[in-house]
Amino acid sequence: MAKNDLTTRNLMLDSLRQYAKNRISFNLIREHDAKNEIPLDILKEMYDHNVLGVHLLLIPEEYGGLGGQTTEIYRICEQLARIDLGIATGVFATFLGSDPINVGGTPEQKAKWFQKIAHENKLVAYGATEADAGSDLVSLRTRAEHVVKDGKVVGYKITGSKMWISNGGVADIYTVLALAPGGPSWFIVEKGTPGFTQDAHEDKHGIRLSNTAGLAFDEVYVPAENLIGLKEGQGFLQAQAVFGYTRLMVAAFGLGGGEEAVETALTYAQQRIQAGGPLAEKQGFMLKLITPHYVRFEAARAYIDWTAKQLEVNNHGLATEGAIAKLYATESGNKAAEDSIQAMGGFGYTKEFAVEKIKRDVKITCIYEGTSEVLEMTIFRGRWQEHLKSRGQYYLNQAAEFDTIHAQNPNVGADSVALGFRALARVLEDCRVNKLTRHQYVTFMLGDLISEMEVAAVFTRQCANKLVTEGSRFDIASLSTMARVNARQSAFKVASEGLRLILGTCPNINTAELSQAVNLVGIEDKMRGLIEDMDQVSAKLREIFKK
Amino acid sequence: MNIIVCIKQVPDSTQVKVDPKTGTLIRAGVPSILNPYDHFALERALDIKAKTGAKVTVLSMGPNQAIAVLRLALALGADEGILLSDRAFAGSDTWATSYALATGIRKIGKYDLILCGQMAIDGDTAQTGPGIARHLNIPQITFCTQIDASGNQVIVTKLIEGGKQVLQAELPVLVTMTMPVDYAPKYPSFMAAHKAQEKPVHTWTAADIGADLHKLGLEGSPTRVDRIFPPPARQKGEMFAGSPAELANKLVEILKKESVVK
Repeated sequence: MAKNDLTTRNLMLDSLRQYAKNRISFNLIREHDAKNEIPLDILKEMYDHNVLGVHLLLIPEEYGGLGGQTTEIYRICEQLARIDLGIATGVFATFLGSDPINVGGTPEQKAKWFQKIAHENKLVAYGATEADAGSDLVSLRTRAEHVVKDGKVVGYKITGSKMWISNGGVADIYTVLALAPGGPSWFIVEKGTPGFTQDAHEDKHGIRLSNTAGLAFDEVYVPAENLIGLKEGQGFLQAQAVFGYTRLMVAAFGLGGGEEAVETALTYAQQRIQAGGPLAEKQGFMLKLITPHYVRFEAARAYIDWTAKQLEVNNHGLATEGAIAKLYATESGNKAAEDSIQAMGGFGYTKEFAVEKIKRDVKITCIYEGTSEVLEMTIFRGRWQEHLKSRGQYYLNQAAEFDTIHAQNPNVGADSVALGFRALARVLEDCRVNKLTRHQYVTFMLGDLISEMEVAAVFTRQCANKLVTEGSRFDIASLSTMARVNARQSAFKVASEGLRLILGTCPNINTAELSQAVNLVGIEDKMRGLIEDMDQVSAKLREIFKK
Repeated sequence: MNIIVCIKQVPDSTQVKVDPKTGTLIRAGVPSILNPYDHFALERALDIKAKTGAKVTVLSMGPNQAIAVLRLALALGADEGILLSDRAFAGSDTWATSYALATGIRKIGKYDLILCGQMAIDGDTAQTGPGIARHLNIPQITFCTQIDASGNQVIVTKLIEGGKQVLQAELPVLVTMTMPVDYAPKYPSFMAAHKAQEKPVHTWTAADIGADLHKLGLEGSPTRVDRIFPPPARQKGEMFAGSPAELANKLVEILKKESVVK
C-alpha cells in the first residue's frame, strides 16, 4: 500500500486531537499528575485498533502495521506532547522498545513479536539504562549467560538490574540490553518470566503520567530465539543505529511541550488586561517572553522536518542531525515553558493552569535519549571531524552557498547565516590551532554553537525556497521574518560566544584582531531592523491566536 | 441502495474571528474541518450502510484542499468521493452551489437517498440542501435528527417548533440532518485513515458534469451581499438583588423610565 500522504498524516493528527479532546481532559491529567499515576486505560484505548491504534505506526506493513514514516511519527509525537508528555512517553516507550527488533531482528522474530505488539496491543519497554550505565552504556553490568544443552546454546540466563525504564512497571514485552559472552546483546523478555520483577513506580519531578520503574533479573531464563538477530555482540550497533531517529522523536516532544506552554500563555495574555490593555499588546511582554520562542519553534520545526525527510531516504544514521534537532528543540521548549510561567505570573505558578505541569514535564526531554551535554559532545565530534577533513572549509563552503541564496533572496537572513558560518569556521580553526578542545567545556559549547548555526541555516534555506513546513500555522512572509530574526541572533551568538571561549582559554590572543576575524561588527551591523521584525512577528501572533 | 452525502469543508468556527473593520473572516492559521452537520449526516448514512449494505458516495464542492474532508469521509467508511472543483464554481451563492451539486448528482446517476447537513457553520443559511432537492425535482425533509432507511422508504424524526414529527417517505428523497447539542463527531483510527488512500476520489470540473456556466459563479447567483458585519457587542447587563416584590417594582420602574411601558 502507498505510504501515507500529507492528507492522511493530517487526518491521523485530527483523529488524535479529537480523541484527546473527548477523552483526556485537563482535570484527568491533573488528577493523575497529583496521584503520580499512569492512565493505563487511556493508553490501552489509544492502542485499540478501532479507536486510534497509534502503535501500529511503528510496525512494518508486512506485519500488520502502518509502516509509519519518520515525518508522521515525529508529527504524532509533537501532538502527543501537546496533550501530555507523560502519555507521550508511554507511547514512545513502545516505539523505542520495538526498535531493537526493527533494526536487528530476523524476519521470524519480527513476524512473531510485531504481530503480538500489533494485534494484542502489547505495551513495550526499552531496557538499557542501569545505575552505572546511563549515557555511557559501555559500563553495562547486566549479564546473559549461556544455558547449554547437548553441547548447544539453547538459552540465556539474565541477571542484573535496570533503572528508570519507561513503561517499566506496566509493559508486557521488554527489550533488554545485557552483556552476553559474545558482547552486548538485546534480548526479548516477557512479563511474568520467572525471576523477572519490576520495582515500584518512581516519584518523579514531571511526566508523572508515565510509568517509570526499575527492573530486576534474577537468573531469568530466555530461550536462544529471544536473542535479537540471533547473534551476540550486536547490541551497541543496534542501539546506535536508531539514535538519529529516536532523538528526532524527543525533539518533537520538546517542540510540542514548549508550543503548548507558550500558546497557553499567549491565549491568557490576549485577555489579561493590565495598565489599560491586553498584555499581548505590550511590546516588552511579547518580545521578552513570547515572540522569541515562536521564532525558535519554527526554526526547530523546519530542522526536524528536514531531518525527518532525510531519514526517510537514508533510513538510518544522521546521528549528528538527530542530536542537533533534539538539543535545539528540547532546550528551546524547556526555556519556553519557563517563560510561559513568568508570562502568566501568579496564575502560571499555580496548578490551575497547564504551564506549571508542562514546565516540570518538558525538562525530561533535555535528559532522556541523551542529555543535552552528551548531545553537545556528539555534535561537536561529528562536525569537528568534518572541519578537520575539509581543512577548515566545511562551514566556509556553506557560507558561500548562503551568499548565493542571499543574492537571490535578500529577505530570509541568508546574509547573517553566511556571516555566522564564517565566524564558526574561524572559531573552530582557532580552537584547532590553539588546541582548545582539550577543555571539555569548550567542546560542549562548540556543540551548542554548531547546532545554533545549522538550525538557522536550514530554516533560512527553507524560507528561501518558499517552503512552509507542514504543521506550521504561519505563512511564508511571517516565516521569512522569523528566519531573519533567528539568523541574526544565531550569528551573533556564534561570534560573541566564540570570542568568549577563545579569549577565556587563550589569554594571549589579541582581542581586536579576533573580533575582526569573526567579523563581530559585521554581524552586529545586521541587527538593524531587528526589533521592527520582532514586532511584526508579535503582530502576526496576536492575529493567529486572537481570542 | 445508493446514498449520496453532500459535505463541505469549513473553517473551524470555534477559532474564527471577524475583522471588526472589514467584516470579513480572519482565516489566517485557522484549521479547516468537516462541517459538523455534514459529519453527523455522514455518520447516519454509514449506519444505514451497516444495516443495508448501501453504497455511500460523498460529494463536495471546493478547492483542491477539500479532498481532506472527502478522505475523512472515506476513512469513516464511505465508498467513493467526488470533488467538484473548478474556477467556474467560485463566487457561487447557495442557489448556484445547489445547482452545481445537483448537476454533479445527476452525473453520478444512481441515487436513492441524498443526505445533507442542515447548514454549514460558516454561512448558516440552510439553503443548499433544499436547493439541491429543487434542482433535482425530488421531495425533501429538513431538520431531521434521526433517520432509518430500508427497502424503498425512509422514516425520519423531524424537529418542529415545540416538538417533533415522525415522517415516512418513499425514495428518492433528500433529507437534511441536524445534530444533538452534545454531538461528538467520530474520527477514524490510524489504520482506517491509511486505508482510505486506496479508495477512489474523482475531481470533476464544470465541463465534466456538463454544467451551464451561466448558472454558476457570480453570474448564476441571485444573492447580492450588501455588507457583512459582526453584531454589535451587547451592553453589560445590570444586576439587582432583593426580594421578588422589590425586584418586580424595580423592574417596572426601569421599564417606565426607558419608556418600554407607560
